[in-house]
Amino acid sequence: MVSEILALNKYRVPTDRLYTKTHEWIKVEDDVAIIGITDYAQQKLRNIVGIELPEVGKEYSKGERIGVVESIKSVEDVYAPVTFKVLEINERLADEPDLINRDPYGEGWIAKVKILRREELDELMKAEDYVKHIEKEEAH
Amino acid sequence: METPLLDVHKKLGANLGRFADILTALDFGNPMNEHVATRTYVAVFDVSHMARIIVEGADSPRLLDNLIPRSISKSKDGHMLGPTAFLNEKAGFKDDVMLYRISHKQWLIVCNAVNRSKILHWLEHQADALGIKDISIVDVTFETAMIAIQGPQAAYALKSLGLELETLNKLQFATNVRYRDSVIDIVSRSGWTGEDGFEAIGKPDVIAKLFMDLVNQGKAKPAGLIARDMLRIEMGFCLYGREISEDISPIEARYWVFDLDKKSYYIGRDALLQKLRNGVDMIRLGIRMKKGIRFIPRYGDKVYIPESDIEIGYVTSGTFSPILQRSIAMAYIHTRYAIPGLEIEVSIRGQRYRGKLMDFPFVKPKT
Repeated sequence: MVSEILALNKYRVPTDRLYTKTHEWIKVEDDVAIIGITDYAQQKLRNIVGIELPEVGKEYSKGERIGVVESIKSVEDVYAPVTFKVLEINERLADEPDLINRDPYGEGWIAKVKILRREELDELMKAEDYVKHIEKEEAH
Repeated sequence: METPLLDVHKKLGANLGRFADILTALDFGNPMNEHVATRTYVAVFDVSHMARIIVEGADSPRLLDNLIPRSISKSKDGHMLGPTAFLNEKAGFKDDVMLYRISHKQWLIVCNAVNRSKILHWLEHQADALGIKDISIVDVTFETAMIAIQGPQAAYALKSLGLELETLNKLQFATNVRYRDSVIDIVSRSGWTGEDGFEAIGKPDVIAKLFMDLVNQGKAKPAGLIARDMLRIEMGFCLYGREISEDISPIEARYWVFDLDKKSYYIGRDALLQKLRNGVDMIRLGIRMKKGIRFIPRYGDKVYIPESDIEIGYVTSGTFSPILQRSIAMAYIHTRYAIPGLEIEVSIRGQRYRGKLMDFPFVKPKT
């Protein structure tokens, strides 16, 4: 079992990955990484009904828009946590976008990518810092 | 401002948010399930944000008759007149309202949260303009609470709590209804979801108790404003600020809030009849997106004739229908093109998606 922290008793934050201010996660496994959106992001969106996925083979720079998540409540852009090339996308999300609601850190992953600038990982937040970031956002 | 039932929502773990500047429950974790509970069983909604204004006095019928496009004289005690509206001189909506006739001299107006102070001031102004003296106009919104119990099992759910309401017909209401050791001021039978349902209005502690009893005893699922929005869009019901406004009349909205046979004057009557004679340029219609399109048309998105630049209208509300399993929307469409069945495209974030124009409702309620 991967250890997890709970932000505000409500939002799961696993400690085995890194986070962005815009609520994406990235889990690094050597050169390859998996990306998705966080439990906080999916809970804020409520029921997700559609997703626009990034293109396989395409390169995205850090902070670039890679897709869109459409939910009952609103529509939010998804951004690249670091500069990468897309190796694979989670095709299941086309028909079952609510996988993101059910399992944001597992079956609800968005893409597998090849990291092109490893040094950018240093700019991302660890779980403890992301928890503080959520607490700050919720205090508003 | 906040709903008087805020503590109830906190206890039940609701996600809170503001609607018309009032802090209330947006959902209880899963709007989709709350929607399904309303269509298949029963759900309870806090609608305390809606404004409640009591108009009382011998001259109250005279004031209302001057403002309401329905015949006040035909109404009966214990009946609701509605949905109806207050119109402006151009026949645009000042607000759409439910009017409860408690007695000839006492009326309850339930109107939209966003219009509460506007309507309150307007009523006072109109009473002055008519030289009406024997009247009191009192805003009771924040000293009362209001909930809606909606769904095919709504009557059964209330009956199992000792509230016998089967004899209450649609658009009727009862006053001073005994509940346990207290009294609910008003219980009415109507709703905004398309399902059978009731509203309970009364002192916040009494209404809070009813809400909690319904939930704790498993009689109803708590539901929030997101589910409510999905339900009303499926039925093709108007929301003030989206489908209706000061610039839209009941004709364009196809929202039948008036009696054509009301011959006496009311504000907006001349403009309304003029519109009926001259016709209108745009009307409200539904859009059902093609199956598999998993994006939702939203307010302001434009509607086109397929594969052309011919813009024929704009979207006012959209959602994903759990019943139809596809995106649906309401739109204003130029009357030349307002043809149910017509294939159209909606531009969502610069991309065109295919759908069809259709009439309301999108979903036929079971009850």
